[in-house]
Amino acid sequence: MSRFDEPRWRSRRSVFLLVQGLVFVLLGLGLYRLQILHGELYQVHSQKNSIKVITENPVRGHIYDRHGRLVVDNRPSFSVFLVPAQTSKETIHRVSEFLHLDETEIRRKVLGSGSFKPFKIARHVDLTTLSFLQEHVLELPGLEWKVEPRRFYPYPVAFAHVLGMLGEVGDEELKRSKEYEPGDLIGKKGIEKIYDLQLRGRKGYRFVKVDARGRTVEEVRTSQSRLPYPGKDLFLTIDSRLQRYADSLMQGRPGAVVLLDVRNGEVLTMLSEPGFDLNLLSGKIDPAIWNQLLGDSLHPLYDRVCQASYPPGSTYKLVAAIAALNEKIISPNWTAYCPGYFRIGRKVIHCWNHKGHGRLNLQGAIKNSCNVYFYQLGLKIGIDVWHRYSRLFLFGRRTGIESSVENPGLIPSAAYYDRVYGKGRWTEGMLANLAIGQGELLVTPIQMAQFVMILANRGYYYQPHLTLRFQDPVTGEVEAPFYPRQHIEGVDSTVYRVVLEGMHQVVASGTGGRARIWGIQVAGKTGTSQNPHGKPHAWFIGFAPYESPEVGIVVLVENGGSGGAVAAPIAGQLLRRYFYYQGKFDYRAERRAIAAWLKAQREKAIQDSLKQLQNRPVEEN
Amino acid sequence: MVNRWIRSIDWLILLPVLGLLAIGCVALYSSSHSFQSMGHQPNYFSAQLLWVALGLVGMTILSLVPPRWIQSLSPHLYVLSVLLLGAVLVIGSTGMGATRWLKIGPLRLQPSELAKLATLLALARYLSRPRVDVNRPRDFLLASSLLLLPFLLVVRQPDLGTALVFAAMALPVYYWSGLKSGNLFLILFPGLVMLASFNFYAFLVVMAALFIYLLASRRSMALISFNFLLNVFIGLLTPVLWNHLKPYQQQRIRIFLRPEMDPLGAGYQIIQSKVAIGSGGLWGKGFMQGSQTQLRFLPEQHTDFIFAVIGEEFGFIGAVLTLLLFALLLLRITQFASQCRNPFFSLVSIGIGTIFTFHVLVNIGMTLGFLPVTGLPLPFISYGGSAMLTNLAMIGLLLNFYRHRFEAG
Repeated sequence: MSRFDEPRWRSRRSVFLLVQGLVFVLLGLGLYRLQILHGELYQVHSQKNSIKVITENPVRGHIYDRHGRLVVDNRPSFSVFLVPAQTSKETIHRVSEFLHLDETEIRRKVLGSGSFKPFKIARHVDLTTLSFLQEHVLELPGLEWKVEPRRFYPYPVAFAHVLGMLGEVGDEELKRSKEYEPGDLIGKKGIEKIYDLQLRGRKGYRFVKVDARGRTVEEVRTSQSRLPYPGKDLFLTIDSRLQRYADSLMQGRPGAVVLLDVRNGEVLTMLSEPGFDLNLLSGKIDPAIWNQLLGDSLHPLYDRVCQASYPPGSTYKLVAAIAALNEKIISPNWTAYCPGYFRIGRKVIHCWNHKGHGRLNLQGAIKNSCNVYFYQLGLKIGIDVWHRYSRLFLFGRRTGIESSVENPGLIPSAAYYDRVYGKGRWTEGMLANLAIGQGELLVTPIQMAQFVMILANRGYYYQPHLTLRFQDPVTGEVEAPFYPRQHIEGVDSTVYRVVLEGMHQVVASGTGGRARIWGIQVAGKTGTSQNPHGKPHAWFIGFAPYESPEVGIVVLVENGGSGGAVAAPIAGQLLRRYFYYQGKFDYRAERRAIAAWLKAQREKAIQDSLKQLQNRPVEEN
Repeated sequence: MVNRWIRSIDWLILLPVLGLLAIGCVALYSSSHSFQSMGHQPNYFSAQLLWVALGLVGMTILSLVPPRWIQSLSPHLYVLSVLLLGAVLVIGSTGMGATRWLKIGPLRLQPSELAKLATLLALARYLSRPRVDVNRPRDFLLASSLLLLPFLLVVRQPDLGTALVFAAMALPVYYWSGLKSGNLFLILFPGLVMLASFNFYAFLVVMAALFIYLLASRRSMALISFNFLLNVFIGLLTPVLWNHLKPYQQQRIRIFLRPEMDPLGAGYQIIQSKVAIGSGGLWGKGFMQGSQTQLRFLPEQHTDFIFAVIGEEFGFIGAVLTLLLFALLLLRITQFASQCRNPFFSLVSIGIGTIFTFHVLVNIGMTLGFLPVTGLPLPFISYGGSAMLTNLAMIGLLLNFYRHRFEAG
């Protein structure tokens, strides 16, 4: 009768036993699912949990010039870290004050995360600063530092465009190569970019067991672990002394200098002026410096050798001359009369020499760079032939030199004019303009250098290049790229003879006289190309020695004025340096001479300004 | 003499408990080792050994005292534990965002553990009185208020997991003391209504079911309408209360129900626990070889997640063995409760079985990742002095009742 009677309990007991039984079956099934069904999955998971891959970056290859002089190497640079889990507000305050960092920014990033992963707060800390921090490390909990190699450039400005800089890998580049991982530094421009894969070396991987807080417990040896392998050293064809000398000759005027060995296509000097200080852009780029470079009216980041294209001016008359001779449109003795101007339809265009050159043959016209002669020649050739010969001499396409930004230039054709102006709406006057290297025509200095090489070799040429050889720093194994000799087909050797003689006379007694050097016969051509940006661009292209050419040279001074007056002297200086001081140059004497010259220049400038000041009327108060 | 002594002990209860204690010590040794390799942590293993020894002594004493003492002391014990719970709220020490401990000298006591046992004893004593019938509203409410008081005090700490133990105790004990199935449903309905109230259609369906059930139960019209209106009221009030909570409170409840929403907090624990157990496979990684345990990826591994240590290092075999020992113990307790002549013994036994079952289900369910993270320890295995003493005291009571199982109340 009681609620606690035996039979009633028995039925309740079954309910309880059933529920308890269900609980255990449920838990057992849960165990079975985790451990038996998905056991392997979780084993992989637990491995991943505790085994961490540590990437060890290889040492990036050094770069040397053709004589083995160092151009880029790696120097230790110190980065400072804070471990969020161990550091304090006080530490952040003191460190950021000392290193001139934004304290609130660091506080925001470091505090509160509680992570044991060191957070980088500063790069490129110098040794003095670091030593001071190291002395006080006991008072600065959570402070850590690490040595990270940083690119160091002994000649940061002269090599700026050839070498290019490194930067953190971007999304696009990550897709391009499997070698790249987020956070990597890779070449962003120039040689560093072109040969990034050779220079960067191979990463090493270590596997370590870590605990839940990310601290290393022990090293794990696996078949995948490997040591980092340093990148290959690169020897450039550039001669660093000539490169720096060219830089000093340009004196910061915007322009380009190319000196190349016409016997093999090796580029000895490739300078874009003005340059910029690569050391300032090494590693993390200071946005202030970057913006200053971007905002500079001279555009120092712009590569004027490969990236920029210009109207070639009179230097391009050589193409018209070759076309006319080779197509037998004229004989070398064909003459034209220059009265100082030329009339096309109702338009009158002047020769640069308003007095006129009189009657000239081809060589005379080249020597004096007579516009009127070449206007007439251009009209005789016609645009199709002119275009065909321009293309034949490889204008309008990239040379293939190791540049990440090379511009193909522009060689207008009849089709091009039809497209731009409409069929029949452009005139022959435009062609006359093209024949003297003006108009829509655009070439790059490196294309001109290649052109000079073709002329000097009478049709033979090599792809202009900067790579002498790669060398494995560990095995010493050398790997040199091969550049085959190539030939421009279909141009008669007598044609070259006539044109080259004209070029010889340009320097010997013509517009390029200031490129003359004692004891060496130089051949060349000046150019003064009109452009809408101000003063004309000064060009000089040439090669030497005339009889058995060794080097070709191109000098361009942007808005520099007359080619003969501005570009030719620079070319002469560089050639003089090349021929006179090959290898055995007394550097100190030269430096003294340059210093003296610079001093004189300065004195002169001071005197000039003093004179100006004296001549100015004295202002009240 | 020895024979009599042997027969006076319920070995089906004692042996599984000793087995579980052994497993617990082994797991704790392994976990404690990982702490020591990290340098700066107390040695949980030695401390636990001390608690086990103390607990076994207490268990033996409790198994030998005259059972009448227990019955007569239970109201005093209840009052004492409620006072202690009150004291925790006033002067308790705080850890992990909750105030659960009372500091007495070097000891930290967790009164909520003692309160479980004391409340059960008081409840059993009340329900075992001959005149009390839990089916009567007055007696039902009185019994429930015995539970509600410690429940509310523990919720305030806040320790939702332990508080749920008081709630979980209610229905099985009521049922064992004679609650009719019909009334059981009436008690269950408000909870269902609360859950359904967040969805209008679910709410309609539940209310319709309740209406039909009430009509079919042939109770008085007054009771039917009161009950129905009460449920409507609860259903309407729940969303209002929910919206009244502060966003962080709502978030806390959501995470409690769905830990994967919080991958760095509770979700992280669940993931690491599942990885630990799953990677143990059939045979386990071996004693002190579990990477999740030894490298401390497994959180709270000496307390709430100790079962994951067993699962990782001893595999499916070890974990199932542990489960079997629990199953043996708990089924035996139920069996024993049904054999007791004394209603008080019987109710206390079934209550103890319920508490253990609830702990095992919630703790291992959490470790396996299908129940929310509540922080309930695994009896006899998790580290913790108060819990160990209380659990072994409960076993002592069972052994005591076993010796007097033929005496009617």
